Amino acid sequence: MVSEVTISTERVLELIAAYGAEPGAWPEDERTAATQLMTTAPDLFAAALEEARALDALLQTEQVPEPALQLSEAILAAAPKTKPERKGAFGGLIALIFPQGLRWPAGAALASLMMGLVGGYAYASTGAGYDQADLAYYAAFGMDGGEDWLGME
Amino acid sequence: MSGQSELDQITRAAAGDRAAQAALVNRNMPVVFRVAYRMLQDRAEAEDVTQETFLRAWKQLPDWQPKAKFSTWACTVALNLCRDRLRKKKPVLMDELPERVDTGLRPEESLASQQALQGIEAKIADLPDRQREALTLCALEGMTNIEAAATMDVSVRALESLLARARRALRAGLRAEMAGERW
Repeated sequence: MVSEVTISTERVLELIAAYGAEPGAWPEDERTAATQLMTTAPDLFAAALEEARALDALLQTEQVPEPALQLSEAILAAAPKTKPERKGAFGGLIALIFPQGLRWPAGAALASLMMGLVGGYAYASTGAGYDQADLAYYAAFGMDGGEDWLGME
Repeated sequence: MSGQSELDQITRAAAGDRAAQAALVNRNMPVVFRVAYRMLQDRAEAEDVTQETFLRAWKQLPDWQPKAKFSTWACTVALNLCRDRLRKKKPVLMDELPERVDTGLRPEESLASQQALQGIEAKIADLPDRQREALTLCALEGMTNIEAAATMDVSVRALESLLARARRALRAGLRAEMAGERW
């Protein structure tokens, strides 16, 4: 299969001069066309390839010292931390009972309190709740409805 | 590593996941250190730059945008830190100095050169900064031309020019050394 990308001899020589003799190091979009051209006319590139190969081999011998072992530790010591977990004797138990944390039950308790306050206020503000409830109570026990005891007329 | 799994790892690292943080450091720290070392030629300074690079990474992770691979971003930061240090040390811009003439390294001389010459490292260290950056990223760390150009913030054509000049300078130096000259 012929590559759709066309390439000139000069461009292949440029690739060798910049990236070396190994086609794997060449730009991906030009690699196939370049290697095909080199296959059809190897003599044009032999000298450049040999020269580049010699330098590639030398570059492979390059050595760099290893960083100190403590470097990784120092870097990780400065990494972001998770929020501290609750410690203490009951920490595990609380975590077991409230796997979502203590915010959820605290929020639920607060919501319950607010609902009670709002409901109670709304009920009391009608002005009839007190009387009707007491009358119903006394009626249930066969009493006179409690009007006298409550001082009602 | 695919972009998605790297993004997942970065997200977990930002949230304080120690395993994700360690994986990120283990995979990228050696590359960052090697790049910094080649630029600065000093192990302690290269370690400082590597540590500073990751300190910036830890700050950056919560707002990480997957525009580039983490390694590309980290090498960009490291190179900038190296440039700052080199600028303070060396006010003369080496890139402005004239290049050596490439007298060519013949294939038959290559084996002899490898046996006779001690350490390509010194020759790489003598390259102008920008050429050394290009050679380090592409030839020594295996980055693609696009990644290396992005890391250096230059065009691909400019990167190729720097690479070709670096290789030409190395060949010229090797040739001169073989001829008994002091390079």
